Amino acid sequence: MRSRYKTGIWIFFLIVALLQLFPLIWLVDFSFNSSADFYSDHILKWPTDPQWQNYKNAWIDGKFLKYFLNSVLVSGVTIVLTVVLSLTLSYAFTRMQWRMRSFFFSVILLGIMIPIHATLLPNFAIFKQLGLTDSYLGLILPYTAVSVPLGTFMLTGFLRSIPKAVEESAVMDGCSIYRIVFQIIAPLMAPALVTVVVTTFLNCWNEFIMASTFLSKDALKTLPFSVMNFAGQYSSDYGSQFAVMVLTSVPAIVIYALFNEQITKGVTAGAVKG
Amino acid sequence: MHRVLRNKTAIFLFVFPGLLLFILTFLAPILLSGYYSLTDTLAPGTKIHMVGLQNYADLILHDTRFWIALRNAVLLGIGFIVLQHPLSIFFAVLLDRIGGKAEKIFRTIFFIPCVISVVVISKMWLSLLDPTFGILNKLLAAVGLESLQHAWLGESSTALGTMLFILIWAGFGWGLLFYYAGVKGIPEDLYEAASLDGASGLKLHLRITVPLLKPVIAVQVTLAMITALKQMELVFLTTNGGPGDSTQFIAVYLYNKAFSASQYGYANAISILFIVVCLIATYLSNKFIRSDAAEA
Repeated sequence: MRSRYKTGIWIFFLIVALLQLFPLIWLVDFSFNSSADFYSDHILKWPTDPQWQNYKNAWIDGKFLKYFLNSVLVSGVTIVLTVVLSLTLSYAFTRMQWRMRSFFFSVILLGIMIPIHATLLPNFAIFKQLGLTDSYLGLILPYTAVSVPLGTFMLTGFLRSIPKAVEESAVMDGCSIYRIVFQIIAPLMAPALVTVVVTTFLNCWNEFIMASTFLSKDALKTLPFSVMNFAGQYSSDYGSQFAVMVLTSVPAIVIYALFNEQITKGVTAGAVKG
Repeated sequence: MHRVLRNKTAIFLFVFPGLLLFILTFLAPILLSGYYSLTDTLAPGTKIHMVGLQNYADLILHDTRFWIALRNAVLLGIGFIVLQHPLSIFFAVLLDRIGGKAEKIFRTIFFIPCVISVVVISKMWLSLLDPTFGILNKLLAAVGLESLQHAWLGESSTALGTMLFILIWAGFGWGLLFYYAGVKGIPEDLYEAASLDGASGLKLHLRITVPLLKPVIAVQVTLAMITALKQMELVFLTTNGGPGDSTQFIAVYLYNKAFSASQYGYANAISILFIVVCLIATYLSNKFIRSDAAEA
């Protein structure tokens, strides 16, 4: 009885998973076919003659490597800044004692509510004045500013679940506050920190609207622009368009495959403590 | 202990950089936006002419497009709450029941669309839903339902619904993950006690799971409203608000006003109202849910 019930869920999940993944399977399938196949009646088509040329186009004309490295640089620096700032902020908000801390905590949390799109126009004017448009910093600063409130929110939740006794004994041993935060607390918060790293990564890696507003120089563009450039240049070559879409999705999927256990753990830890 | 936690230098070093960044990229721009919103400036750097509250008056009293955008956001938010969230809770419960290896495998699979970039999602769905060559219309033709074919994103009657569908496809995994985490936090013996009392199946979950998930639901519903209000990229990259204004959203509207229509001053007034709307929505949904939770 029990096992039949489980088999039922299994089959149901399998069908849903196939339906959900179908668009992606379709995308990969047609990235190996020629454009003519896209215009045909096939729903899926086994690529008897795989069009590697599509991927060659994507790699070269999509400027994959250049944009990829830009994305790595921008996301990497943003992640490091976000983790450090969120860690110190959340520690100051939950453990340290000072006046106005709940006020400043609310101020930082406003960052989750305020839509970035509303700051896009004035930031464009400010960045232009400061010469930050068309620079890596012009992306790293707003990306970090958007990621820190969410990161701080997640980390404060987790920090509350860590017993204060840990720090008390460290203080007895004569540890400074900086060592406590970075060498004792930080390792204990590893699951939550990994969640912050991964969500920040996904947000920056896939971000498009700020990048398209603040950047015009080709040398600085990030990975989503591979797809954008292609839509114009190869507008009727669907095979190549799909290839560039597959190619730009691979890094995020790989990162997800590597860290998916930790994402779940981090979210679970946060949710249970509420 | 207390001396260490009151260390003023440390507090300053911990808080100041983050706060400074927040002030520079959120607070200062909003103030500047407030200033621009009182002008009829065409683009940043052009001549500035003050017009007082004219932009706001126009926006609130005469601009039907702004209100349509707001209505679309509310409809989308309701769509999320009515469709996506019950679906996420249902799947979270099943995922918890199935257990073992399958639990992990399916949890991983259902989340995959969440890691795909919005640019890819937009372009992919544009191709999938292409009126002539798109897979959906081909499938409908294959089963003889040509009458149900639509230019899904190109007709005002179907565009918003299609948008909702794509967003649920792309975001379902996040909702599932949060509810799943919530379900995992419910102690097993509660179910055992309830089933001894004779509750089973759906009744069991309505009596145990849903009430105990209330804190998670509260946060998620607030987030759903905010997500709906903030909707921008997918719309911008697929329909750009059209056809007509059937998929118009505030962020898309203000972006086009600023950078295509050269009404920078007016666009900044939209920005300011946009922030106000988001804060009110957050406040209301928090308040509504709190009082609701208190009654239960």
